[in-house]
Amino acid sequence: MEWLESFWATYSTLVLSVGTNVLLALSIYLTLACGLLTVANAAFMGLGAYTAGLLTINTGTPFLLALLLGALVPALVALIIGRPTLRLSGVYLAMATLAFGEVVRIVILNAENLTGGALGLNGIPQLTGWFEVMSAVSFTLYILLRLARSRVGRAMAAIRQDEIATELMGLNVRSYKLFVFVFGAALAGLAGALNAHFTFFISPNEYGFERGVEILAMGVLGGSGSPWGAVIGGLLITLLPELLRGLGHYRPLINGVILIVIILYAPRGIWELTRYVRFPTRTPTAN
Amino acid sequence: MKLKQTLLGIILELGFACGVTVAAEIKIGVAEALTGNAAQYGVPIRKGFELAVGELNGSGGINGNKIELVIEDEQGKKEEAINVFKKLIFQDKVLMLFGPTLSNSAQASDPVAQAGKVVVFGTSNTADGITSIGNYVFRNSVTEADILPVTLKVAAQKTGLKKVAVLYGNDDIFTKSGYDNFAKTLQALKIPVATTETFAKGDVDFKPQLTKIKASNPDAIVLSALVAEGGPIMVQARQLAITLPFIGGNGMNSPRVFELAKDSSDNLWVGSPWSVENPAAENKRFIAAYQKAYGSLPDQFAAQAYDAVYIVAQALKKVKPTGKLDADRKALRDALPGTQWTGVTGPFKFRQVTGRDSKPAGYDAVQTAIVMMTKGNQYVIQK
Amino acid sequence: MLAQQLVNAISLGGVYALFALGFTLVFGVLNVVNLAHGAIFMLGAYAALQAVIHLRLPLLASALVAMLITGVAGWLLDRLIFAPLRTRRAPHLAPMIATIGLAISLNSLVQGFFGAENLRFPVDALLAEGLSIAGVQITWLELRIIFLAFVLMAALLWGLKKTRIGCALRGLAESPKAAALMGVDVEGLFRMTSVIAAALGGVAGVLIALYTNAVFPQMGQPMLHKGIAVVILGGMGDIRGALLGGFFLGFAEVLSVAYVGSTMRDAVAFGLLFVILLFRPEGLFGKSAQRRA
Repeated sequence: MEWLESFWATYSTLVLSVGTNVLLALSIYLTLACGLLTVANAAFMGLGAYTAGLLTINTGTPFLLALLLGALVPALVALIIGRPTLRLSGVYLAMATLAFGEVVRIVILNAENLTGGALGLNGIPQLTGWFEVMSAVSFTLYILLRLARSRVGRAMAAIRQDEIATELMGLNVRSYKLFVFVFGAALAGLAGALNAHFTFFISPNEYGFERGVEILAMGVLGGSGSPWGAVIGGLLITLLPELLRGLGHYRPLINGVILIVIILYAPRGIWELTRYVRFPTRTPTAN
Repeated sequence: MKLKQTLLGIILELGFACGVTVAAEIKIGVAEALTGNAAQYGVPIRKGFELAVGELNGSGGINGNKIELVIEDEQGKKEEAINVFKKLIFQDKVLMLFGPTLSNSAQASDPVAQAGKVVVFGTSNTADGITSIGNYVFRNSVTEADILPVTLKVAAQKTGLKKVAVLYGNDDIFTKSGYDNFAKTLQALKIPVATTETFAKGDVDFKPQLTKIKASNPDAIVLSALVAEGGPIMVQARQLAITLPFIGGNGMNSPRVFELAKDSSDNLWVGSPWSVENPAAENKRFIAAYQKAYGSLPDQFAAQAYDAVYIVAQALKKVKPTGKLDADRKALRDALPGTQWTGVTGPFKFRQVTGRDSKPAGYDAVQTAIVMMTKGNQYVIQK
Repeated sequence: MLAQQLVNAISLGGVYALFALGFTLVFGVLNVVNLAHGAIFMLGAYAALQAVIHLRLPLLASALVAMLITGVAGWLLDRLIFAPLRTRRAPHLAPMIATIGLAISLNSLVQGFFGAENLRFPVDALLAEGLSIAGVQITWLELRIIFLAFVLMAALLWGLKKTRIGCALRGLAESPKAAALMGVDVEGLFRMTSVIAAALGGVAGVLIALYTNAVFPQMGQPMLHKGIAVVILGGMGDIRGALLGGFFLGFAEVLSVAYVGSTMRDAVAFGLLFVILLFRPEGLFGKSAQRRA
């Protein structure tokens, strides 16, 4: 038990980061599974983090409520921008959401009186423990796994395969897209709210372009065919730099090379590799 | 050839990672940004530490005990800084910590050290409020609040400026904090501000802002920037035929100004406890040793890191190791506040600040500022 | 002031256009959002800087060295990453994620060799003497950047329109399958495009480093953000669009500093991009072709 205690003392933040990153990966899985390439998740994460952080610091809102609102506010924003934005597809959708994310970041930066601007938000109470993170991750994972096997999940897969055919079959494609976009935003917001409450401090630059790309990398590396892929991606992106810590200066170099190698040998994500094990007779379909 | 060196580097680092440790008795953790954007500040800091520790160990260490630095890269990211702090405190069981590089990271990681009752000593965190975190938080990086009034007064006196324009980086805690202090000081000195412009970290084009500043007809430009942006800003200003004096924060106090803004670097006013031109014997020796070891001139980050090691060494000399980590960590904390030292940044002592709960908290530096003006690619000390 | 700001906008626009040329070319032909273009751009700047300092080459020759080295990098990029992914019929996001890995590695490698500090080209190599025309300041370098942006674009357009290779490339951009059936060496063309785009990125790196007086490992990152915006504004894969988009963004930024406030510089630029996409998904200057999935 002493071993566990010392492990937890050293690595608690890392373990909690794994949890919130898995949530982020799941948030982008939702849109990727529907064939949508959106990269506003970092901004939604920031909105969640600031909402929850401001609430617990200034008003002493109970943590659970703050988390809930941290998920709700980005969901609401996603609902508002979703309709016009989701008419776009492919790279254009990615760029529109990227631009939106930048605008959100700069607005947070300039709303100095509320957010502290570049100086960030300090002294956020330490309320996130392993229990909150574990419950959030397992609950989300349960819902998404159920969802994947439900009518909604099949509709999502159909939209990804062929949007026009799905529409012709009478499914309301736009509503499904809006649903995954808003749900994804809520998850990213929740991850942000949880993350803010174990890192003492948040600042606008954490929620910029780099974070957005990192989240996307988690989703794609793990594989967007199943929520489990997102879990793998989140684990990998969080733990890889830690495992390579001994490499010193050249850690990012090796880290980058490993990412390339994974993509080369598992272009559909790591989860898809297990497909051969799971269904040895079926050949993967190209889309 | 270079590639070979790189590969060799990787192999060597792997070797170290596999637990080739040097026998040593005083373990001090160093968490600095050694890769990523902030590495341009973290790397000189590391060099400053290593130079000072090498000298100390070479002359017999602390009461016969050698110092061992456990160096970790925190990448300038807050989660990494927390992870590294925890690793150093709980796994490597260091006596105390130096770092992290950025004030952003310090806001996130210093509470970890405070909670673990381990001294954390920042050598480059200048933002307000860092030492308010708690009584285990120390720094020798002088806050702009102490330096800027002196710089502005001297510059105003010598140049006779009546109104200024302000330019600062608004998305970075270091430059934003510097700006806040400039704004306060300008108000206190009743110097009117013609226009206030901002830029963002990583920006490379400043001409639109500078053009606007030129049109507002100020007598000087007050600049809160790090030298990475400050150098190009000065070059672009001179290209726009703006010959006004620049008044900078301590981010602009670096001999690198003369590389980055060569031939355009004249008429920059900065204040800092450290100057590359300071003729004090300690400073001369430091600059020579640094150049010999690393082949380049030190900057303020390296100088402050170098001094920090000697300040801690003074305190360590007073601490009798008991072999119990908790007790030793506490003893070091108790010994540090009374430490005085005259190093490359001049006479130094600590001053206790009040925390957010208005109880006594951590310790800031008390030092005197040297005001300098650049001329012909050199700093000239102004009396 | 306005006249000076307009000149600022034009040279900034030239800078953006120059960066965007290679970026948009890779997208148009290979259909890849190359997030390593910023890193290649940085590699070009470092290569030329080393050539100037250590080989004592004149600037023009150094720029050629930079093009050569980044061209090789482009060749390797296609040979080692894009081509294997094409053979494996990887989904279209895969190469983009691989380029993230490449960008991380390249940045780390360059930092390992040359350090993290900002560097600058030696002053005597600079073309920074200014001209003053009716109170408006402009340097020879800015004039050259604007000029070069136009020349390179014209050369690319001419090459695409008039040469056999260009004809094949356009066919390739339209449909790789059809091009292959017509007997076009598809793989060879892909590789050549990657080389040309990387060399363009390299020369952009040299010029922009000269213009901004800053060479540092992360210098490609902010350019990449802006480059993406430029390419979207101009229409993805559109050569003329890169130039128009560059100037549009240059003017949007400069005018927002002049009349809105510098804190809103990027907010205006990206806000505009967002709004434009909502109304004209094919980009401001793109032809309203079919949307790519």
